[in-house]
Amino acid sequence: MNPVPLKESRALRWMIAILGLVLVLSVTQELARPETTDLISAGTAGSTLRRAVPILLAGLGGIWAERAGVVNIGLEGMMILGTWFGAWGALEFGPWWGIAIGIAGGAAGGLLHAVATVGFGVDHIISGVAINILAPGITRFLSREIFATRTGGGITQSPRVESVGHVDFPFLSGGEVFGWASPDIFGWIADRGWFLVSDLFAVASGITSNVSWATLLALALVPGTVYILWRTPFGLRVRSCGEHPVAADSLGVNVYRMKYAAVIISGGMAGFGGAFIAIEQTGIYREAQTQGRGFIGLATVIFGNWQPLGALLGSLLFGFADALQLRDRTAVHALLLLTGVAVAAIALRSLRRRQPVGGAVLLAIAALMLWWYSVTESVMSELPPVTPHIATLLVLVFATSRLRMPAADGMRYRKGQE
Amino acid sequence: MTPAIAVELTGITKRFPGVIANDDVHIRVAEGEIHAVVGENGAGKSTLMKILYGMLVPDEGQMTVAGDEVSFSSPGEAIDRGIGMVHQHFMLADNLTVLENVILGAEPKRRGAIDVAAARSSLEELGASYGLDIHPDDMVETLEVGERQRVEIIKVLYRGAKILILDEPTAVLVPQEVEELFRNLRELKAQGHTIIFIDHKLTEVLEIADTITVLRAGRTVTTVDAGDVTAQELAELMIGGDLPSPSTATHQIDDHVTLALAGVSVIGEDEREALSEVDLAIHRGEILGVAGVEGNGQGELIEAILGLRPLAGGSLIFNGEDIGQWAVRRRRESGIGYVPEDRHRRGLLLDAPLWENAMLGHQTVEPFAKGSLIDRSGARNATESIVDRFDVRTPGIDITARALSGGNQQKLVIGREIAADPLLLIAAHPTRGIDVGAQAAVWEELRRVRAEGLSVLLVSADLHELIGLADRLVVMLGGRIVAELNPADTTPRLLGSHMTGADVDDGGSPA
Repeated sequence: MNPVPLKESRALRWMIAILGLVLVLSVTQELARPETTDLISAGTAGSTLRRAVPILLAGLGGIWAERAGVVNIGLEGMMILGTWFGAWGALEFGPWWGIAIGIAGGAAGGLLHAVATVGFGVDHIISGVAINILAPGITRFLSREIFATRTGGGITQSPRVESVGHVDFPFLSGGEVFGWASPDIFGWIADRGWFLVSDLFAVASGITSNVSWATLLALALVPGTVYILWRTPFGLRVRSCGEHPVAADSLGVNVYRMKYAAVIISGGMAGFGGAFIAIEQTGIYREAQTQGRGFIGLATVIFGNWQPLGALLGSLLFGFADALQLRDRTAVHALLLLTGVAVAAIALRSLRRRQPVGGAVLLAIAALMLWWYSVTESVMSELPPVTPHIATLLVLVFATSRLRMPAADGMRYRKGQE
Repeated sequence: MTPAIAVELTGITKRFPGVIANDDVHIRVAEGEIHAVVGENGAGKSTLMKILYGMLVPDEGQMTVAGDEVSFSSPGEAIDRGIGMVHQHFMLADNLTVLENVILGAEPKRRGAIDVAAARSSLEELGASYGLDIHPDDMVETLEVGERQRVEIIKVLYRGAKILILDEPTAVLVPQEVEELFRNLRELKAQGHTIIFIDHKLTEVLEIADTITVLRAGRTVTTVDAGDVTAQELAELMIGGDLPSPSTATHQIDDHVTLALAGVSVIGEDEREALSEVDLAIHRGEILGVAGVEGNGQGELIEAILGLRPLAGGSLIFNGEDIGQWAVRRRRESGIGYVPEDRHRRGLLLDAPLWENAMLGHQTVEPFAKGSLIDRSGARNATESIVDRFDVRTPGIDITARALSGGNQQKLVIGREIAADPLLLIAAHPTRGIDVGAQAAVWEELRRVRAEGLSVLLVSADLHELIGLADRLVVMLGGRIVAELNPADTTPRLLGSHMTGADVDDGGSPA
């Protein structure tokens, strides 16, 4: 055996994947012109990123908990705590404190989940559902006590809060360096209208201009999570608790402590996601503004095979559909075309892997979508928001054999068990 | 000259609810020796070792390690005193690499991160100095059983253990792997390590051990030098009575064919042909032994007969009917009994009470069911009678299967299958991991049902068992039947060379 150096081949594969994706988007965009111009643009890219961040954070939270062997279906509830505490903190002490307090709020939810599941051995799903029911109750109560008395606030919403601020990258997207406006290189190339190249730079421009500092922090948590979980002793111990807690215990690892830590971190991530929604996305706390993103985050965990990078990809997928439907209703029709093309690509891959049944089914679905696109002018308004869910379902159905969840995920652990 | 004492356990007593697992146990292990602890399942060997390794705290008694009195409340403390344990059920996480499994809990650090380079070099060093062949970056799930065991040993050595406890290390190994393990153990001993070795395969114990302590029913019977006893004497010490053997009594085999396989092929897990055109016939009142190195199609053969795996070709005629397309339930109800290889995963619901376990697979028929409902009292009565008839030692039928020792679990499974009056019994490794007493009971039972006209398909890795019990032997290799032998003129050695596909005449095997 004489393998290609792993790092090299991985980096190469990533680049090919990204280029391929942009190519597909570009081609679809050309096909869909002039119906829409929003399939691939700086605006869509930036919006995708903003929409993806809360889902990403929930996904990272899910990875932390599940890698330690605790299923955290309470992410949604912890996110809700994050929205309220984030808004309250931002209101009282400023936006950065808001983020920190939102994280603390989510972590408190995580602690509750850990006490129930790790400490008392409650079924993980039951505890998670309880937290999801509990969190809106707590926030409603707190709103009535605190926000209702403020101007602009009420029992279902807070007064407006400030954001942590945004940044344009210098030289790349015309950011300022000590008061001097640097050239906007990405933007300039994006405006040339060169096929593929301009599209690529439009995306780059979208994700480097007017970026929230909180977004950057959230993105940094992806490599951060990879580093801690896969490169540090603490991370190895956490993962061992999700794979074989009895073995970990037999080597002197304090399994309970690791699980507590991981679930609290998980809650903190979800809380950050909630705080991001309140402080950065909307600038206000509103009841039920998480809209099930905690659950979608959990889906990205599975979609991403319990890997942070996979969760990032999954969250971008959801973020993209979300952004498209918000920015440009007509673009959604083109999404049919895009999904059709994407499903066809997956189908071809299945066929190449000699999975004829799955491949054929996917191919049929792709054909159906393309046919639908060609004979219609628009789609019913209920469809677009669920497109990514459908895509995820398809991926999950046909890729499950390659997914590998932590071996002891969701199982009750008692010290001294066999 | 008396060598120094590495470990001494004095008056160890450990009680569990309803059981005294260890009752005033005394063991003294000299430094640098291989000390075997033998006894039937349930004799208290594992409990004793868990106490020494800090996984259990004794109710009474003292422990000394290298002359110092110690008491451990966690494995971590035992590790600190230089004690390491290789568990019977491997303590390895499948989805982690060999390296990660080894360093877990004792990671070398460099600026907060794991120092992978240092870890790898110390692993390779350990592997080289003890002749243990491992690859640090392999995923554990890809390893063979023997390799996993080497990882376990490295794991213990990595923590600087001078005293190694091995809990039934040979139970899961094939003969070649056992030889390799023994080479490793001798190497460890030569480098000054003390080894405590739990087993109940007496020939192995006599081969490797210097000193042997025998436990029976939680008490120390005696400690002897390995040179002073025979396997026969040891066995009698263990069970406190005469030794049973699997010798064949003469009896009549019918010419009625219970099950006939013709050209049966099956596709395996890896999508390759795991069984290729197998022809086989089992007669009424016959035990057909299937020998083979594990993974040569025996598992698939069983799954094909039971209907757990679809046929890719060929036919299955059971009692005159073609059952090739039947569902598993229908096959079972028509008279196929099954004693699975892994009683924990396939034979029992460990956390369910015995009476529920006794009805598994028969939950649709009397006495366990009335119409479409479970007949509770019928099931309980039937369980009571299985427990009585097959001598399952248990305080009651409401306790969980997990609470029984391995031998008693197996007797329950076998009793369940035989009590349903099958025509064919498939027994996969029926005595694996159980003690001599339970083993004898299982053999006796198989012989008895054969005399009643039952056909038995016996798959086993225990060559003595195969030769002693079977009326006819077939050997499987690479998904095919490569030899058919008469057990009366077969030796384990001859069988072994057929199993590995070696030239049968090689090595001057007795004909």
